[in-house]
This record gives sequence, structure tokens and C-alpha cells, in this order.
Amino acid sequence: MTRFSLLIGIMMLVASPVPAADDPVQKAMKAYEKHRYEDAGRDLRAALPLLEQSKQSPAQLTLGMIYLRNAELHRELAQVSAAVNADYLRRLAAERGANRSRYSDLYLGLALIESGKAEAATSALEKFFAASEDAKYKVIAKIAMGTAASLAGDSQKAQELWSGINGSDPEVKTELAAAYSRAGLQDKDPVRLCDAALADGRKSGKAISIMAVKNCIGVYGRAGAPDKGFDLLSRADLKSYFYRDAIGKSKVLTFYDVQLLSNLSVFYFQASLAALEKASADQQLKGFASYYLGEAHILAGNTDQAAKATATFLASPQMPPQYKNRAMVRQGAIQHQKGKQSEAIGVWDDLIRKQPGEPELLADILIACSWLRIDCPRVAQTSAAAVESGDGKRFAILNVGLGRYALGKKDLGKAVTYLETGRDKGNKNKIESNDPLMLVNLSDAYYRTKKFSEALEIYFEMSKQFPQVRQIQEALQGIYSMEHKSAGDVKIN
Amino acid sequence: MKRMIMMILMAVVVMAGAVHAAPKKDGKPDGGSLSYGEYGRPATLDPITSNEMISLRITELIFNGLVGINEKQELVPELAEKWEASKDGRTFTFFLRKDVTWHPLEGEAPKPFTADDVVFTYKIMMHPKTITPLKVRYEFIDTVEKVDDHTVRFTLKRPVLNALAKFSFKIIPKHGPANPFLTRDDRFVQRPIGTGPYMFKAVTPEREIILAANDNYFKGRPHLSQIAEKPFADQNIMTQALMFNAIDMIVLVNPRDIPEIQGDKRFVLKTYNALSYSFFGYNVRNPLLADKRVRRAFTLAVNRQEMLDSFFSGQGTIISGPFAPGSWAYNLDVQPAAFDAPKAIALLQEAGFTRGADGFMQKDGKKLKLSLKVPIEKESEAVKRVVLAFKNYLKNIGADIKVEFKEWQAWKEDVFLEHDFDIIFASWVFDDSADISSLFHSGEIGPWKNNFGGYANPEVDGLINESKLTLDHEKRRTINRKLHALLAEENPYTFLWNLTNYAAYRDKVRRVAIHPYKFFSFADEWFMEAKDQK
Repeated sequence: MTRFSLLIGIMMLVASPVPAADDPVQKAMKAYEKHRYEDAGRDLRAALPLLEQSKQSPAQLTLGMIYLRNAELHRELAQVSAAVNADYLRRLAAERGANRSRYSDLYLGLALIESGKAEAATSALEKFFAASEDAKYKVIAKIAMGTAASLAGDSQKAQELWSGINGSDPEVKTELAAAYSRAGLQDKDPVRLCDAALADGRKSGKAISIMAVKNCIGVYGRAGAPDKGFDLLSRADLKSYFYRDAIGKSKVLTFYDVQLLSNLSVFYFQASLAALEKASADQQLKGFASYYLGEAHILAGNTDQAAKATATFLASPQMPPQYKNRAMVRQGAIQHQKGKQSEAIGVWDDLIRKQPGEPELLADILIACSWLRIDCPRVAQTSAAAVESGDGKRFAILNVGLGRYALGKKDLGKAVTYLETGRDKGNKNKIESNDPLMLVNLSDAYYRTKKFSEALEIYFEMSKQFPQVRQIQEALQGIYSMEHKSAGDVKIN
Repeated sequence: MKRMIMMILMAVVVMAGAVHAAPKKDGKPDGGSLSYGEYGRPATLDPITSNEMISLRITELIFNGLVGINEKQELVPELAEKWEASKDGRTFTFFLRKDVTWHPLEGEAPKPFTADDVVFTYKIMMHPKTITPLKVRYEFIDTVEKVDDHTVRFTLKRPVLNALAKFSFKIIPKHGPANPFLTRDDRFVQRPIGTGPYMFKAVTPEREIILAANDNYFKGRPHLSQIAEKPFADQNIMTQALMFNAIDMIVLVNPRDIPEIQGDKRFVLKTYNALSYSFFGYNVRNPLLADKRVRRAFTLAVNRQEMLDSFFSGQGTIISGPFAPGSWAYNLDVQPAAFDAPKAIALLQEAGFTRGADGFMQKDGKKLKLSLKVPIEKESEAVKRVVLAFKNYLKNIGADIKVEFKEWQAWKEDVFLEHDFDIIFASWVFDDSADISSLFHSGEIGPWKNNFGGYANPEVDGLINESKLTLDHEKRRTINRKLHALLAEENPYTFLWNLTNYAAYRDKVRRVAIHPYKFFSFADEWFMEAKDQK
């Protein structure tokens, strides 16, 4: 893939007496190419203190790239999880009678917060608060009600809900820390709250709770404290459930907080920015680092910084042309975000005119359109014609672009068709052969078309590298068990 | 379930535009012939006695149920144009279409489909002399009665989850079978008569099964004029037949051939049916295999990942229990047992085995020697390698495995009728319900039943019974998770892997939607442009 031509460039900068196979940066790059972001990041971080000075900057650039892809993936996972979990929890919350779990209201409220639906979230949380007798979880619901109020712009109500909360319980303390951090209340010192809660937990000798991980990873991310965050993650089991409710002898419900994935996304974005900033201090790597900094900033919503970093990259000499294309597509997207729609379209039209039928370029523009949630019918038409006439793996990326664009337009049939065409079917669920971001999109399209087993298969494989997708797997399984309409047949093959 | 109890009336109007003996009104051309390849031959062509996928796929073209499932996974009317359910969820009344006829026999006028056929189908299915895996699925039905020629009423013993979906079983004609029971000797099982979009026409000397379009199909004539099923004994040859135009479609592509087909723009690859897995199944009637430590030792002795990587290019997923990884019932907390030959040997020793002078384990003077039966039509290179690898892995821990390849029908008789085997290699395919009750419940031990290994465990029986009785989806899910964990420990099978499943077809076949389990459910809408018709 052309993406990796830039990696080769970086490799050339890493003059190394160590055999390539043993070089930690190169090993991390290989894991990155195989989309094994967790392995790549962990191994390179561990090797960092032992690396000679000349390799520190390339290592930081590599880490920045790894974290950026991981952040982007987690952002997509968080969105999917919020939607799937809300669907699942709504059904559980709608049940009546003795076999109903009150916690479905609480976790529905939390999922709705992540979907940006503050009002509906408040309603579910209030329902839990009114009916529950579980003092600790009532407090957690109250804190979440404050977050919902804060998201709705009512910071006064949020402060009222948070005031007077007894944070003696370490988990509750981390919930408060996360709420303060998310609301930007640095004066409440959320980092100190998290540090204290984790220290309390350590003293008690108990394993670190997933609730504390979920909260503190977001706090450390926003505070620019990646080392604390990575230390926390190294001790965490990210597939853990948040609450298990046993109802009678044979019914057990497990609940997950969707915020784990969005906080991981926040954390990795911030870790990426920090690593890329370090790399860009090296003049040799400034151009490369600027390219990724521009991408990280635009994904994190920092339009001005994205524009600045992208301009720095484009001014750098001897950059690979496909990366120049991508940076210019990004410039168009920045223009669009700034309200200059016609300029954006002009940039993209100009690129297409100069390189007609170039699959990567068309894919980049489609993905930008999808990300901006805008209609780009002419680009889509040109792209559809290009994949029809084009052949081979070179066009796989454009099929993926068309698939993501169709998914954004909720044209699910087309999304499945294009994403499937872009998928390496020989290893259809393996992240080493298929970009996990594409697999998440495909799984989402399958979920929405009720092909649940196809969606689940994707996460089954993905969970080997990203165990935190368990929350999506469990919710999907739950919906599938309710939705399927089959007679109970089984045949030998 | 309360939702079910609250259900007062479910009535669905007949699909608009369905006209007796009329073409479809979708503007697509009629004509053309589709030839598809199967790896193996169907044992029967009726929906009652069949217990394998090749037969199931053909019967989907020939027969209909009272209800069906559309592409959006919604229940839709088929032979019943509407239905009512009682408040308590125990009575279902189906109002039948009046415009349906049975496929005509040569020289005869088509006979009308009536309530008598529905009652007959249920009774023949439940007849003690009928050998069918369906009995266990329909034990919840108490009575069926004809209200009038076009109305039939089912009374259930108890409300069940997804009750309506269960009425998708295929209806056969009262004038079809020779007896009130159905066996594989009946002419009907090889010359079926249905109501579906395609009619049985002939079996060629090459064992090709030819189906012709039913001009009188109640949903409108299917577009393709003919569908032919062509059996192959070798998967590689089947792929070559597709590449060289001898067939138009393969329903299940050999995973190793996927890259070759994927790179060719003449073909479309479509994924479907993730709910299947392969396994080695044990006959626990053999005292050597009755000890669960021995079965566990066999599972630990086999390096499943190595086999999957070597023989299937890694194109699949190792599983830990009785459900496929894409199923809602899979217990994600149960990990596949790691390959551990020393632990396997220790387990055999714990079970009382000692190494003999010949290197094989023995107990009470009896050598640990077992037969492994494999159907010959599954004798592809990959399967051959899997069973030979299994033999070698087990030799390493002191078990002597004799591999026997048997002709498909003879293999099924040995396994399902005579129970004359120690170990088999096979695969199960499930619909979305992930129902394993017929595989592991002790009530399902017997001739032509799916618990071929004679596995019996009161705890497993109890969980299966509880699962069938509940109307709570989440409770059923919890029970299935327990079953998964229990059966992973008990090892009635060595659960192996779920392979990548793709169908491949020539791009001239249009509007191809595939049912994830039954495959041909929407084939009446497939078509070819006039220029592409043979």
C-alpha cells in the first residue's frame, strides 16, 4: 500500500547498526502495518528508554502514527458501541416485571450521553435514581446526570448535582474526576482525584476496576499525562464488564459503559499529538510529523492547528505525491469546516482534474465528504465509474471509500457491496489483512441490515488485539438473540 | 412471554401483486439457466427426512412453508396469507392462500393446496415410523386441526419463543408419499412434489438434478427457466468448473480458492452463513471414550491452530465450544483449550492408561485403538490432511487411530443409524437460533437422530430443557453460555473451527440475495439479462 511508502522514508532516516528484524522502531512499524496498534505501541514504548538518541525522534514519530490510527479506530468503535448499546439497552429497559434489571436504565443513560442525547439520557438516569436502592450506583447516576446537564449547556445544574457528593469510594472519586475533566473544570484537579483513587485502590490490594480505568484514562488523556495513562492501561483488563446483575438462578445481565471507548479515543489522540510534537522538533522529521499532526488536529477538531501543520507539510520538499494529495484533500476539508464550501470543492475538483481516476485520491475525497457529512455526488459518480472499469487491489481502497461514503448516507446495500469488494476475502476478518476501521464500518453496515452473525464474526477476530470491543460483542449478541426469527434447524455438512 | 401473551392479532395481508400463474411484475426478463456446483450429493430431496445442507438447499427451491422470512429478516406470509395468535400464545390459526397448486405430475392437472396438506405434513413428520430430525423441533405442538379447506389451527403445549418462525417448516402434499409415514424408500423423497418456484424435472446419468421454473408459482413465475445442481467429488475441480464456465455458481467455495476467484472480475463472491463449525465427534458408547478425561486429552493433543493455518491457510477461527463465533449464544469468556500434549498424556495416565511396549496407551490389557470415519465425498486434500494430522497428533500421546473413508450414504448409515464408529470428522451448520438441543440432549439418542455419539449428561439435559421452556431472551442466553462452558469441559466433540464461507457466481446472474442458512430463499427473483441467457 502506498501509505507505507512514507514509512520507508522514515526507515531511511533511521540509520541503524542493529539488524532490521531486531530494530524496535522497525518492528513497531511492521506491527503498525498489520494494524496491531496495541502491540506496536506497547513494544515500542517498552524499548524507548534503551534506544539511542538518534532514534528517539523516529520512535516518537512512529508512536504518534500508531496512536493516531488507534485513536481514529477507537472513535469509530465508540460511535458504533454507543448506537448498538443504546439499541440493546432500550430493549432491556422496556421490559417489565420481576425479571427486569434496573441497571438497564443506568447504562442506557450512560450510552445516550455518549450518543449526545442529553435529554433522553437524563430521563433514563432519573428513572434509575428514583427506583434504585443501590446507594453507590445512585451517586454514579447523579454524577452522570450532571454530565448530561453539562453537555446540554446547563453548567449550573451540573455543578449543583456534583456538589456535596461523597467521593470517599475510589470508584465514585474517579467518576467525579471524569465528569470534571470532561466539563473542563481543571480547578477541581481531576488528575489528583484519579491519582488518589488509584492509590486508594492499590492500598486495598484489589485489582484495578474497569470503572476507574474508564474514567482515569480520559482524565489523563485530556490532561496530557500519557505516561500515567499507559501505566494504567498496562494493568487493566479492558474486556471487563462494569456491572453484573444476577436475576434469579438463570438470568445474568452484564453491563458495559460505552465511555470506555470514547475515553480511549481521547487518550490516544492526545498521546498522538504529544508524540508527534516531540518528533517535529527534529528538523529532519518535521515534514513527516507535520503531515500526521495535521491529521490528528483535524480529527481532534482543532481546525486552525490542522491548517498550520498541513501547510508546513506541503511546504516541505520531496514528500511522496500521494501524501501531498492527501494533505491537499485535507486542506479542502479545513476550508469546508471554515464555511468556505465552494473553495473546498474547488480544491478537490482541481485535484481530480489533474489526476483523473486516481483511486487513492478519490477515496480520500470521499472519506473527507463522509467525515464532513456532506453530499459529494459528482465525486461518488466518478468513483463508481472508476471502480467499475478499474481492476485489482489498486482499486480496493476506492471501494472502501465508496463504502464509507454510502454508509454515511445510510445507503446500507451499497455500503455492504462496496466494502465487501474492498475486503480481502481470503482473510476476511483478520486485521492483518484488512484495515480494522473498514471492518468496523462493514460490521456496522451488517448490523444495520440485520446480518448479525457477519457483524459478530468481525469483532470475534478483532477482540484478539482489541479486547475492549467486548462491549460491542455483548450488545450485538443480545440484540441478535432477540431479533432472529429461525425455526431451530441444524444440518450436517 | 408477556409480549406473546399480549399479542392479540397478527394479520398480514397478501403481498401486493401476487397473481396466480402470472409473470413477476418487476420488469426483469425471464429465461436462462443456472447451473450450480455442490461438494457431494443430496441423500434425499424432501424436506422431512433430509438432514444435510445439500438437500436443504434444493428443498428450498421446491417447497414453501406457511410463513417465510424476507431479506430484512422479517416474517412474511407464504402459504398462509394471514394468521392469528391467541392472547396466551398457545393457539395459532393460519388462513391459507387459495391460489396455490402443487407441481403437476406428468399428464395430470395441478392439484390445489389445502388445509389437508398442512395437517398431513405435521402428522407424517410426527409419525413414529418417520425418520426425521424435525420431531424434536416440533414437540411443542399439541394438536393440529383443519377448520375448513383453507384454515388450519395449531395448539401448542406451551407458549414458546419465536413460535411463528417455527411455522416455516415446508409443507408436502397429501398425495405425495405412499404411506402415512415417510422413509427414504418412498419414491417421494427422490421425486418430490412441492408448491415452490421450481419443480423437480429429472436426474441425469451424471447425477445432475434438473429443476424447471414453475409457471404457476403463486408469487409469479421465477425468472430463471432452469436451475441445475451438479455434484462434485473434488472441490478443486468444482472451482475449475466455475473458472472454465462449466457451472455458474458454487454455493460454498473452498477457502483456499477464494483469492483466485476474488481476483477475477467475472465473478462475485458473497459471504453468508457464518454459523457453522467442524469437529471430531466421539462415540461415548465405546467405554474408552466414555471417560471425559480421554476426550479432553484428545482435544489437548490436537494443535488446531497449526492445522487451520497449514490446511486452510488460516482462513477460519478456532472455537471453544458448541456454538459458532458469529452466534448470539457463544460464550466469549470460554477460551479454546491450548495445545498441550504433555497434559494430554497426564490425563490419559490419570484415566488409568499406561504406555505399552509398542508405544501405544493401554488399559486393562486393551489398547487405545479407535476408528475415525470420514465420508469419502469429503475426501478433499484439506480434509485428508486434517484427519491424517489428527491421527499423528493422537499417536504422539499413545492413541492408535485407524482412518476409514466411507461413501457418503454408507458413512451416514454407520454414524446415524448403526452408530458403528469411534470418532467422526464432520461439520454442523445452524440457522440463527443456534439450537444445539438435538445434538447433545439424551432424548435425541437413537436411529437417525443428531446425538449420534450417544452423549448423555443430566446437567446438559436440564439446561436444554430450561432453555426451551423460557420465554426470556436474556435467560436463554445465560443458559446457553452455561451450556457452552459445560460442553467445552466435557468434550463430547473436539470443537475445531469455523471456516470462511463464501458463495461465488458469475456476474451475469443478477439481483442475487442469499438467505444466510437456506441459501435459495430468494432465488425466484434472480435473473439474467437476455444477452446472458444460455
